[in-house]
Amino acid sequence: MGVPYVPVIGLVGTDLLKRRDDMIVAPDPFGSGKVSVVAKAMRPDVAVFHVDKADRSGNVSCGYQVEAVLLAEASAHVVVTAEEIVDRVTEENAIGGTFIPSILVDAVVHAPRGAHPGGMTGRYAPDKHAMREYVSASRDDASFAAYLDKYVFAPRNHDEYVERFVRQAETA
Amino acid sequence: MDYNDEELMVVLMSREVRDGEVSACGALSHIPAAALLLAKEMHAPDAELIILNTVFRPFGTSRQFHFLAQRGELGLFFVSGVQIDRRGNYNLHQIGRDPDRPEVRFPGGYGGGLIYYCARRTILFRTEHTRRSFVESVDFISAAGHTPPDVLRLGGPSKVVTPKATFAFFKDVGELRLESIHPPHTFDDIRENTGFDLGVTRAPPTKPPTDEELMTLRGPIRRKMIDTDTYRAWAERTLGSA
Repeated sequence: MGVPYVPVIGLVGTDLLKRRDDMIVAPDPFGSGKVSVVAKAMRPDVAVFHVDKADRSGNVSCGYQVEAVLLAEASAHVVVTAEEIVDRVTEENAIGGTFIPSILVDAVVHAPRGAHPGGMTGRYAPDKHAMREYVSASRDDASFAAYLDKYVFAPRNHDEYVERFVRQAETA
Repeated sequence: MDYNDEELMVVLMSREVRDGEVSACGALSHIPAAALLLAKEMHAPDAELIILNTVFRPFGTSRQFHFLAQRGELGLFFVSGVQIDRRGNYNLHQIGRDPDRPEVRFPGGYGGGLIYYCARRTILFRTEHTRRSFVESVDFISAAGHTPPDVLRLGGPSKVVTPKATFAFFKDVGELRLESIHPPHTFDDIRENTGFDLGVTRAPPTKPPTDEELMTLRGPIRRKMIDTDTYRAWAERTLGSA
């Protein structure tokens, strides 16, 4: 959208609002006498997200992750990792309403199974076993650091990660 | 005709759907989904239904759904909460009051904190009617039932449906009061299992599901949910299993 802030209907009186300094309650500047939440725009420097398909020019079909379109539009730079690199992604062959044109995209990385341990709608389910391990590791800083060492820092690259940690049963 | 708790809740929630209105439910909402489909079959043939992540949705993106709600075109919405309190607040975030050290953390409310203020009426539901789910005040307010009159708001809670009772929300005072009790439960049962003052000293029995409602639910609606892959496993397991 490119605007600095937007009014939002909702969230007044919630504990969420207490925790955020980018959303405030403000009066209608046109004098209706009503107040509403006003949310400050987010302008990320870089967005990185995983998609269904991309082509070499950077056209993207983000699968069912429709919020990724908004993310791409909001961010100064966009890097996508893709399940599959195809000849050409167009508005017509992208899954319903999820086309991101190459003008918004800086780089495409081919990363099959790149959502693991999450799932990719239409391709593979979340890895529940790995998710449980992630959840229990996130209980304290030490166990989470160990998790990061094992799964993020130790593998030399994505292929090695997939080879070592994506169970073959899940591929079916 | 005998029925199980979830069938009862489906029927009671379906009665809240009005013909000609747009009614919707979110993700993981098998009971509301069945209620919407039942209402359309029973008394609201011209109701527009939006059942997220199923074939019953007119939009490809959630942005379109949110904008429809913000325009005031959403008549009825269904939402559940881990905790629900007397003031109509619900909690989908966490158990424990310290935001930095919750005992249990949930995924949160997605857009519920917006839709609760936009839909004209929202029915809250909870399949567990106990003191841990119905509390005096929730640990974390994900969406507020009552807001000051100067807050831009198009609607709010109208009713709560549980396996034991219904509560009505009184907007002017901003509180829930016991509305009806499902037989064979008693007023003392409800008081025993609710963590807040019921606001009344007695309440009438709930009008139980009719044979027609139950047969429609177990026949055509169960079939439709299976055929359209709308919470199929739940429909197969639950509808008609009393």
